[in-house]
Amino acid sequence: MFANAYELIVFTLNYIGIYEPVNNTFKTLGIEYVLRIIIVLVEIAILFVFALLTIMFLTWMERKVVAMVQARYGPMVTGPRGLLQPVMDGVKLIGKEDIIPAKADRWVFTLAPFLVFIPALLIFIPLPFGESLIISDLSVGLLYLIAISAVSPIAILLAGWASNNKYSLMGAMRAVAQDISYTIPLAISAIAIVLFTGSLSTVEIVTAQNGTWFGFIPKWFIFLQPLGFVLFLIASIAEMGRIPFDFQESEQELVAGFFTEYSGMKFAMFFLAEYAHLFSVSAIVVTLFLGGWSFPYISLLPAALVPLVSLGVFLVKTYAVIFFAMWLRDTVPRVRIDQLLSLGWKIMIPLALLNLLVTGFLLTVGVFQ
Amino acid sequence: MTWITKNWTMVGIIQGLIVTMKHILRIGNRPTVTVQYPYQKMKVSPRFRGLHAVDEDACIGCGICEVNCPNGTIQIVKYKTRWYPQVNIGMCMFCGLCVDVCPMNAMKMTGNYETADYTRESLVYGPDRLLFKKEVKQ
Ligand code: SF4
Ligand code: SF4
Repeated sequence: MFANAYELIVFTLNYIGIYEPVNNTFKTLGIEYVLRIIIVLVEIAILFVFALLTIMFLTWMERKVVAMVQARYGPMVTGPRGLLQPVMDGVKLIGKEDIIPAKADRWVFTLAPFLVFIPALLIFIPLPFGESLIISDLSVGLLYLIAISAVSPIAILLAGWASNNKYSLMGAMRAVAQDISYTIPLAISAIAIVLFTGSLSTVEIVTAQNGTWFGFIPKWFIFLQPLGFVLFLIASIAEMGRIPFDFQESEQELVAGFFTEYSGMKFAMFFLAEYAHLFSVSAIVVTLFLGGWSFPYISLLPAALVPLVSLGVFLVKTYAVIFFAMWLRDTVPRVRIDQLLSLGWKIMIPLALLNLLVTGFLLTVGVFQ
Repeated sequence: MTWITKNWTMVGIIQGLIVTMKHILRIGNRPTVTVQYPYQKMKVSPRFRGLHAVDEDACIGCGICEVNCPNGTIQIVKYKTRWYPQVNIGMCMFCGLCVDVCPMNAMKMTGNYETADYTRESLVYGPDRLLFKKEVKQ
């Protein structure tokens, strides 16, 4: 119907009848591109607000899930059931003193939190939130996602090194080692999906998962790629740096790892980035393996409802994956660094390659056609 | 490596996930244990040693508590017409020796543990804040 959210906004404006006159005004002035820029800016603003709200909600949800597991209440005082807690946290963090260590590299130290935070937001661009609810349907969407998520180790290394603190540096080194070793199985198990769809575009990956087998099993890639799904999930939890793979923080042995020296708003940036990452990585898992915004019989709905319903479906699936990540975090303890690395290099990469090999073989033979 | 090859089925992780899921869904006897502190307080045990209190009529201002305090926390000060102990909570370790040695059983310890304050000066509890009057039973 529409290629992306830009066209959706244009369609909506058309629908209420203000697009044509506005467009004509701009046209007579000879500056149509300004209108285009305005619409894109509106889109970015919506995305930004959505991302911030999601992050705030996730910080609340994380605490609630941990509290439920540990038979506690979690935040209860601020707002109904503690829902305003993230707002109060923001107020608190803004009020805190912003300390830069004396021997730190000031520029790098200040820049690193932004370098972590901005890629975490950039990941949102090719994510298909729903039918035609996508900022930009890149033809290399999947490659873009993997490439952007590979930026964060650099920022973490910068942060750890600029702090001039050996614990921070060790945390950063571990984070980089972990990110590099887990990006490989992550990318390889994503390639197996590309073999099925023949395209790197996230929209096409989702549309390829439309429909059902035998009328009730949804055509999600998780059923074709169970091993790939498990590998991708483990690798992405490791990429996020969450328990059981939170070596970049390691509160017990490294104080807090690479952000030990950060305070106030800069510290908050790291945490916002972490939660943005959690959301986007879960969204990627949903897009690749759980059918994205599609679900069986979505085509039977009236066309006007589809963007909204698909957005709801996408969010429900994403939050299910996020819940799984939180649930796992509350259950298992952290593994050792050598266990982590040998899991990555000796188990996951061979398994991912095997998965790719078998997929390619079966596709060539024609089993999946 | 051996750790992974031994545990590749991840039975332990799945068992753990089931346990935590039971907690989340409150299956079995899993009540919430939180005490919402400022609104809801736990009962302290009767022998809990909190803030001091001095019986206004019983205390004779003898200073035995002052002499016996290992931290030098207590000072005998004049209050109205008589002498009473003044306790510096900031130095006190709540050992309860002052209560034990008091010949008149005038000093006792209450269950009040909310003694945090903003300044050091306000941690010095003079007789005006320590004294209490026992109700005389006819
Ligand atoms: S509290 Fe007891 S020991 Fe202390 S001055 Fe009074 S009577 Fe003496
Ligand atoms: S409780 Fe111990 S430290 Fe405190 S005033 Fe009494 S004797 Fe001194």
